[in-house]
Amino acid sequence: MTKQVKMGILGLLLVIPSFLLLFVTVVIPIAVSFKESLVNKDGGYDLSNYKYLFTDKLMRQNIVFSLEVTVISVVIVLIISYALAAYMRFNKGKLVAWIRNMYMIPIFIPSVIATYGLIQLLGNHGWLSRWVLLLGGGEIPRIIFDMKGIIIANLWFNIPFTTMLLGSALAGVPDSVMESAKDVGAGKLRLFTRFILPLTYKTLLVAVTFVFMGVIGSFTAPFLLGPNAPQMLGVSMEQIFGVFQEKEQASALAFFTFLLCSVMGYFYIRSMVKEEGARS
Amino acid sequence: MLRKKSALTLLTVTTVTAALLAGCGNSNNAENANAGAANNSKANNAAADNAAADNAAANASGNAAPANTTADPVEFSFYFTGSENVKNLWDTLIPMFEKDHANIKVKEVYIPSGTGAQPTYDRILAAKKAGKGSGDIDLYEDGLNNVTQGQKDDLWETLDPAKIANLASIDANTMKDVSNLAVPYRSSAVILAYNSEKVQTPPKTLDELFAWIKANPEKFAYNDPSTGGAGSSFVTTTLYKTLPEDALHNTDPSIEKQWDTGFNTLKDLGKYVYGKGIYPKKNQGTLDLLISGEVDMIPAWSDMALEQIGNGQLPATTKLAQITPGFTGGPTYLMVPKLSEKKDAVNEFLNFVLSPEAQSVVVTAMHGFPGIKLSNMPQDIQDSFKGVAEGFRTFNIGDLGDDINKRWQSDVAAQ
Repeated sequence: MTKQVKMGILGLLLVIPSFLLLFVTVVIPIAVSFKESLVNKDGGYDLSNYKYLFTDKLMRQNIVFSLEVTVISVVIVLIISYALAAYMRFNKGKLVAWIRNMYMIPIFIPSVIATYGLIQLLGNHGWLSRWVLLLGGGEIPRIIFDMKGIIIANLWFNIPFTTMLLGSALAGVPDSVMESAKDVGAGKLRLFTRFILPLTYKTLLVAVTFVFMGVIGSFTAPFLLGPNAPQMLGVSMEQIFGVFQEKEQASALAFFTFLLCSVMGYFYIRSMVKEEGARS
Repeated sequence: MLRKKSALTLLTVTTVTAALLAGCGNSNNAENANAGAANNSKANNAAADNAAADNAAANASGNAAPANTTADPVEFSFYFTGSENVKNLWDTLIPMFEKDHANIKVKEVYIPSGTGAQPTYDRILAAKKAGKGSGDIDLYEDGLNNVTQGQKDDLWETLDPAKIANLASIDANTMKDVSNLAVPYRSSAVILAYNSEKVQTPPKTLDELFAWIKANPEKFAYNDPSTGGAGSSFVTTTLYKTLPEDALHNTDPSIEKQWDTGFNTLKDLGKYVYGKGIYPKKNQGTLDLLISGEVDMIPAWSDMALEQIGNGQLPATTKLAQITPGFTGGPTYLMVPKLSEKKDAVNEFLNFVLSPEAQSVVVTAMHGFPGIKLSNMPQDIQDSFKGVAEGFRTFNIGDLGDDINKRWQSDVAAQ
């Protein structure tokens, strides 16, 4: 055996444990729920549960609603987080230090508690409306128990981590690059589009994937802050599984959610592989 | 050095792989066993028969030997779920029981509401399918849907009045509704809780209530019926308003056509309830709205409302009223898993729970309705229920409850 073959075998052996772990905790459950999702009412196998997902008016609304909430949340989270991270990267002073100390706090508050906090804060007779009244304002419009409520909660949960992620990417943009670009006369916009964005693009993609997956499968906030109908997929899945006891339909919905996430995963992995390939 | 290292890695890898594979194999075995059990219900029956035989044997010996040859006390585990008040109730009742029955110990397992009720049922079912008896659960408390579910899965022991003398004090119709598979040891009623500062004369009938809701837009809320019994009762009562009384005990799906009028009423009410169609989650969701003053009237469980008035969560101006005919309420049930090996001890415990003494605790500590007929209760408690108990209606519509929730979701919530 040459050394190369030996090393190859060793490499394979080292990969096996993580592969097996992935196989047992991810691949098998997905395969099982896929199989279960194909079981129809009479015990046979067909696509009736998937047909139900896309023909039932309510389920279709749920899917569209979830995607809407997710896309809007992802966009807003990215804009705010990028702005925050960029601000912290390129500015100095008390305010920056203050933001740097504070922006992580939401991560340490459990989601259920944060959600109840939001209800207390934003409810019709909540803190916010009481302050508005005290300061001479009128009734504020309803913010929770609809899409806005879920999005606000998603911002709260996702901005800290995304800011952290983007912050580390921005920290990796060398000052020398920025300075030399400035020297040859690049404006702020050009600096951003030609240097900063390309250098942080990969992390941005990671952030999109994380926020997308986190939001589309979320349960606590949509359950407590969302409307009764349409529901987010997580809430709907729980209802179908726990209340209506339709295991097969819940499996179909779970598998569909998995597919949505894996589409995101595909783009992410493809860009990673491209990057790796370009490097070697 | 390198070789040593790689040998070590190799060893680790093989160990981990072996462990994982073993895990795999086990789960496969379990699945096979499941499939086998499901396919071959004969085997199950045989197992049940065995257990019954064992039990009979134990019974016989128990009868033959004098009761006070106390070796170790029998300990059975009692799983129950509910809000804090349910836990408080059992914390009071179980010491009372153990004081008089030194040979029996009750192992209390409290599962806070909403976290584990379904898994407990699944555990009993899984234990049965895997041939492991009752999974160490000897007594289980939950709502009606678990009784009917267990009836289909053949999980519950049929209760025998010869062994539990106090079963005779329960209304025979209630026992018939659950085919003698469960003990309805306490009941709660759904009532209207309202802010008496804003509402001088509460509605007395369902029609008056509808009129009130329309006259006071956004001041009434009921919770999503799939998340809590109070909202569910409001929906059921509305659906069955024009139907004959015995429809409430009808599990035949053909009755669903007659729900149309009720669903139309609910759809119509959607514009007038809180937030023009916001249905809070869980029983507590509507109570929270009443506490914050966002609504003035809600359907609520009497025991929850009374307790929260008592400890000051709900403002003291909150009052309760029942309409006639009353909102459907429901008992909470105790079920004995068929494969439990400690049924004698459990039977004795159930007998105690149904005694007037224990039932008085249910009434005074829980603000609940007794599970046994009022005529079997002490006189002062009978007096305290004058005028309240008449409006109390229980129901058993089996799986139709799920259909109501499903249809409510698409017809009312998503209109």
